[in-house]
Amino acid sequence: MTGDRPQLARLEIHLGRLLVTGVTISAILLAIGLGTWLFDPHRASALLFLNAGLIVLMGTPILRVIVSFAEYVAMRQWFFAAVTVVVLIELSVTVLVALSKR
Amino acid sequence: MASGVIAGCMGALLGLGGGVFLVPFLNAWFGLDFKTAAAISLVTVIATSSAVSAGTTGRNLINLRLGMLLEVASAAGGVAAGVTISHVSDITLERGFAGMTAFIAVLMLTRLERRNVIVDTTVDPGTLGGRFHDDESGGEVVYRVRRLPLALFVSFIAGNVSAAFGLGGGILKVPVLTAWCGVPMRVAAATSSLMIGVTAVASVPIQYANGYVNPPLAGAAVLGVLVGSRGGLWFGARARSKWLKLLMAVVLMLVSLIYLRRTL
Repeated sequence: MTGDRPQLARLEIHLGRLLVTGVTISAILLAIGLGTWLFDPHRASALLFLNAGLIVLMGTPILRVIVSFAEYVAMRQWFFAAVTVVVLIELSVTVLVALSKR
Repeated sequence: MASGVIAGCMGALLGLGGGVFLVPFLNAWFGLDFKTAAAISLVTVIATSSAVSAGTTGRNLINLRLGMLLEVASAAGGVAAGVTISHVSDITLERGFAGMTAFIAVLMLTRLERRNVIVDTTVDPGTLGGRFHDDESGGEVVYRVRRLPLALFVSFIAGNVSAAFGLGGGILKVPVLTAWCGVPMRVAAATSSLMIGVTAVASVPIQYANGYVNPPLAGAAVLGVLVGSRGGLWFGARARSKWLKLLMAVVLMLVSLIYLRRTL
């Protein structure tokens, strides 16, 4: 099982890029939101930016699992693809419960 | 925000979410109720996870396969927490947590010298093991994962504890992985960092929907954590794993005392 190490290393780099992008976008949104909020706490756009930042932040790990699934399928590593699907199912239970409460 | 900086720094060093510092801080100093403090802390756990993992990629320290396998258990623990924890009183939970962290601290201290690395690179690491460049050994090293069922069990408990206390759960996983499961400290910390984001996402959307996440406070804490995690990454790359373990043991003892004091 050592022949697939380069593929795993590539997956690690892809996921790293994805995480950087997610964190950067959410940090920018949160900083804008926080700045606006400090200036005027009642402005609607402040909460809009803050909530958008939080949603991007929460979405990033979910997106990471989805990308991992796609790459394991591409590598034909069915066991780990299946493991990823189980994690996705667990996460979707939480998201569905959360959406039903809105 | 300042507490976020400290939490982020520790989180990056030890593979924790940093919630162990943030929750008592928000709870005791800011006077937020426990559920709000825990929910905000969980949001920062996601930030630590993404930022730290992004900073460690490319060095083969993150074990993606082991991480994903353990995530099955930790995410299940997070989802199940809502069911299991409502049957246990807060005080029992906090005492149990205090006892468990103290026990793990002692365990870490007794195993400071064990590094879990095999310098002979011809050894097959197996499906779950791995190899990485270890500066302390001065070259590439191999490690093999042992006692997988134990790692899965601890990940489930970590997922449970994460949702209940607003932590990432690394505080339980990292010590057990290094003490019993053959995983070197840096690999355990890097893998745990990646995992805690998913663990937190397994419960935080529900708390968000319930209105426990205060957006401005969460935003400030997240930005603080992001700054702190940069510092932690910097120190982490330069510290010896023995000192990281010692720091972890001290942190565990402190956490144990904090929770023990709360229950008295």
